[in-house]
Amino acid sequence: MPHILFFSRNRSTSVEHIDRSSAKACCRLQDSLMDALVEIKVKLPDLELTNVRAEVHRSDRAISAEAVESLRKAIGIRIGPGLLKIMKGLVGDREDLSELLNMLDECCQGVILSFTKDTLAKAPEDREKAKEYYAWLVKENVRLYDSCIAFAPDSPLVDGMKPPKGNDE
Amino acid sequence: MLKFMRNKVVGIERKDEDTLQAYGVLEDDIYAVELEVSIGLSDMVIRSIQGRFKRWTTPECPKAIPVLQQAVGFCALEEGFSQKVQKKIGRKGCRHFANLLVECCATAEQAAGLIRGRKAERVVAGSKGPGGTMQKEAKKHPEKSFEETRAARSEDRGGVVIDLHVHTYPASACSVARVDDVVVEAKRIGLDGICLMDHNYVWDRARVDELKRRHDFLILRGNEITTDQGDMLVLGLETPIQGIIKLDELRTMVSEAGGFIIAAHPFRGFLLFGSGQLGLTPEKAMERPLFKQVDGIEVLNSKVTEKENRFASEVAKGRGLPGTGGSDAHQVSDIGLYATRFFSKITSERELIDALRGGRYEAVAFKKEKDVF
Repeated sequence: MPHILFFSRNRSTSVEHIDRSSAKACCRLQDSLMDALVEIKVKLPDLELTNVRAEVHRSDRAISAEAVESLRKAIGIRIGPGLLKIMKGLVGDREDLSELLNMLDECCQGVILSFTKDTLAKAPEDREKAKEYYAWLVKENVRLYDSCIAFAPDSPLVDGMKPPKGNDE
Repeated sequence: MLKFMRNKVVGIERKDEDTLQAYGVLEDDIYAVELEVSIGLSDMVIRSIQGRFKRWTTPECPKAIPVLQQAVGFCALEEGFSQKVQKKIGRKGCRHFANLLVECCATAEQAAGLIRGRKAERVVAGSKGPGGTMQKEAKKHPEKSFEETRAARSEDRGGVVIDLHVHTYPASACSVARVDDVVVEAKRIGLDGICLMDHNYVWDRARVDELKRRHDFLILRGNEITTDQGDMLVLGLETPIQGIIKLDELRTMVSEAGGFIIAAHPFRGFLLFGSGQLGLTPEKAMERPLFKQVDGIEVLNSKVTEKENRFASEVAKGRGLPGTGGSDAHQVSDIGLYATRFFSKITSERELIDALRGGRYEAVAFKKEKDVF
């Protein structure tokens, strides 16, 4: 068979910190079936959604204006653990909205990652010092332990560290 | 200026009659990873996978590449596929690979739907519940003999220590602790009682009464309910809540039932940063409307950092709300990490609510205090 793509997808999420009290995130999805955009505005430091806007330019399935408008039910919730579950609960776990909800989630994840980036950017260049820095991060934050292979119990980054009690999520 | 950007690109090629080949790239400010995934068209099962890091953070990250092989055999149509990938590939390997793998499979699923001329249908999983279904209506059941026993014991000690936040399996799918094992452990470490706080689950009163009698131990019923303003520990509400409820609606229901609402772990942060790093101050946090709707705040919880617990405690003090403690146990060894010490006897759910309203209690690091592990 010729190596021609049958289906392709681009998903781009960007985050802008507008000022000290607000941020904006935008997710644009373009694939063979859909072209849509979801934009959120977030109040800082609470990470509360103050605005949600969606546009569907092209889709293989019917998505009504009412359905798109229903995304605004997410306004008022705060970005935090269990966010997608809360959003699905508020907006409704409907098939025609599933991708828009994913995009809303991508926006929120982007906001979180924009802060995560700052923490990671402080890691020293020197390999040994970097190890110390990551080990310090794990000690400071119970959630990080065993959250990925870098912080798994047998990783040198958590060498000698007792498993934090209660860290099973 | 943009603070962060993530681009994900996935292409799907039809390799042969029954094979889709997904090639995906995830590039953001922090990571750059690539995946090649071969997926069966007829069954949407991952047949092979290869990954590459282009940029990463810690020196340990590249060890995540072999972990990708665990995804071979996963079915993209399976209920809970995304969570399974996050758990097996994300937590055991790399979360960015997990994210991209989910994207590759979702894209392949769309392509498969087009090829087959219909959308792939997700497998519907069966329902769950510990020993039965959700309780619809509470049954009246006397607690008398048990209450008498507990009352005598409580008076001897002048109060009780109760772990107010315990999850059990299968009532909470995220827990691995069976209720009988939880009770045995709670007794072993010297707790006076536990409160079952399973997620959106109302325990059957008769079942709990039977457990209390069998173990001769104080077992109370609560319910951790997810609202638009986060998780709430609710006492005294018999009505099962499914899905997400608005906090103001829950407040009305709980008030009508004469119950009590505690904001659970209200400042639980993220993997690499917490409330403090965002610049959130207790004074600012106190302004959140949710603190006008709750009766108390959980100020000791084992799933958050010490800083986040301290932050919750400061907010509770500032708002004049009582603070409670609970382990948020999801496994037996978590039981009693944190608890609430009441300065009066408690033998029933009504007495617990009265005691919570009375305010004569304190959150305690129970295991640490007693040095029992």
